[in-house]
Amino acid sequence: MVFLSNIVMIMTRYWQLFLIKGIGYTLLLSVIAVAGGAFFGSLMALGKRSKIKILKWIITAIVEVVRGTPMLLQLYFGVFVFPKIIPPLNALPYIYSVSIVLIINSSAYVSEIIRSGIEAVDPGQMEAARSLGLTQRTAMLSIILPQAVKNILPALGNEFITVIKETSLASTFFVGELMTQEIVVRGTTYLALECLTITGVLYFVLTFVLSKGLKRWERSMKAHA
Amino acid sequence: MLDIKNIYKNFGDNHVLKGVSTTVEKGEVLTIIGVSGSGKSTLLRCMNLLEEPTFGEVWMEGKLMTPVDPYLHFDVIRASNTYKSLVAEGMGDEEAIEKIKAEDLLKEKHHGRAEGAEYAALMKKIYDENHIDINLGRQKMGMVFQNFNLFNNKTVKENITLAPVKIGKQRLKDAKKRGETVTKTAADIEAEADKKAMALLERIGLQEKANVYPSTLSGGQRQRVAIIRALAMEPDVMLFDEPTSALDPEMVGEVLDLIKDLVKSGMTSVIVTHEMGFAKEVSDRVIFMHDGVIAEEGTPDEVFNHPQNPRCKDFLSKVLY
Repeated sequence: MVFLSNIVMIMTRYWQLFLIKGIGYTLLLSVIAVAGGAFFGSLMALGKRSKIKILKWIITAIVEVVRGTPMLLQLYFGVFVFPKIIPPLNALPYIYSVSIVLIINSSAYVSEIIRSGIEAVDPGQMEAARSLGLTQRTAMLSIILPQAVKNILPALGNEFITVIKETSLASTFFVGELMTQEIVVRGTTYLALECLTITGVLYFVLTFVLSKGLKRWERSMKAHA
Repeated sequence: MLDIKNIYKNFGDNHVLKGVSTTVEKGEVLTIIGVSGSGKSTLLRCMNLLEEPTFGEVWMEGKLMTPVDPYLHFDVIRASNTYKSLVAEGMGDEEAIEKIKAEDLLKEKHHGRAEGAEYAALMKKIYDENHIDINLGRQKMGMVFQNFNLFNNKTVKENITLAPVKIGKQRLKDAKKRGETVTKTAADIEAEADKKAMALLERIGLQEKANVYPSTLSGGQRQRVAIIRALAMEPDVMLFDEPTSALDPEMVGEVLDLIKDLVKSGMTSVIVTHEMGFAKEVSDRVIFMHDGVIAEEGTPDEVFNHPQNPRCKDFLSKVLY
């Protein structure tokens, strides 16, 4: 009973920190990561399909390093290394460096999503298009990509959900997202279990609503073809 | 009309085609038969370069489709100084070509300027005189696949109009760029393609399916749509790659009837098939492939009734028709 009343107390006193600042920053970071990831990830997927060997090699290396090292380590690395490379970052809060790391991380995963989405389209579709005399470019744009998008979008939604959870690691640098707010409130109230429960529920609601929405959208998309 | 010369195709160490040459004349119906893995589908796919031959040339209506890569063309290799010096050293023709190809001996960086300006000029001359853009060449060749390969994201009608519209518009753009006066507009091209698509659909009795997606059609219907999709480009030759192999038995008839119709109307065709009765009925010439080479070739009567090659006899005794 004390537990529940503590939760109510914390929420009435600190709801703004959790619901507005925390969720706000979490969603902001996730959107930045996925939007940036979608943009740079597409470029990387494109680069990986190019004939330039060195470009392919560099992109493969980035993807493998990002996938093969922990996110937390990447964040530490970014926060300490990026300001050295890009001096203006020194004067700015950590959230800028953190955003860059999130974008790079997300790009690597998104590029793999796009690559596998394109490769999942039946090669016969490309053959048929080319056999009619269409150029590689036209075949790609009118036949392959529209079909690949149907594979890519659901996976991109999942990536978004993953990123929402991963932004919690950014709390290490106190950038203001949900987990940071949890640390702040825990520090003032000394009610660890209650704060963790609230934060856990909020993360769950966020990702659950999103994944249900995505499912519905996926179904409606399938119905159209 | 369609001339293939000395086609070799290797997939790694797997030598699928080992020197195939044949000519398809205008109006001729050529069927290719043989056991699975004998290279007949690969041969067909080499004809429109869906598979790039490792060696050899494909000529479509007097134009060279295969790239002018010195290693693809025996004559070009034979014109090189490297070849001449190898032969002078006592090497045989085939051996010398193999060596030049394997060791990449024609590249200037390997041999200084051994081949010289004369050779470079010969290459350029061959290219300028004979080369045709691969997409232009393919527009003259319709291809029908075993698995139909209709575009899943397009309706039946869009499947048929896509290529004529895209290519028509591209030609229009190119003509404008060259400063020619054009009377057609993009809308005209679309309307024309649309009309033709409906006429073709009517021909196969599927006009009411114009606006549905291919996934709702039966196998036989899909294959018939795939055939008229190829016809919409008004090709000069049709290539059929086992058009009935993926069909349920009851649907084979409708597809074969359409192909028969087509060849009777004088369409030049190359057909890879396992339907021996059909091959016997429609062909002007039959090729029996075995182990990457043409093992037997002749009229249907010669091949089916009086086969000479023991492999061909063996094959025909095992299939029913």
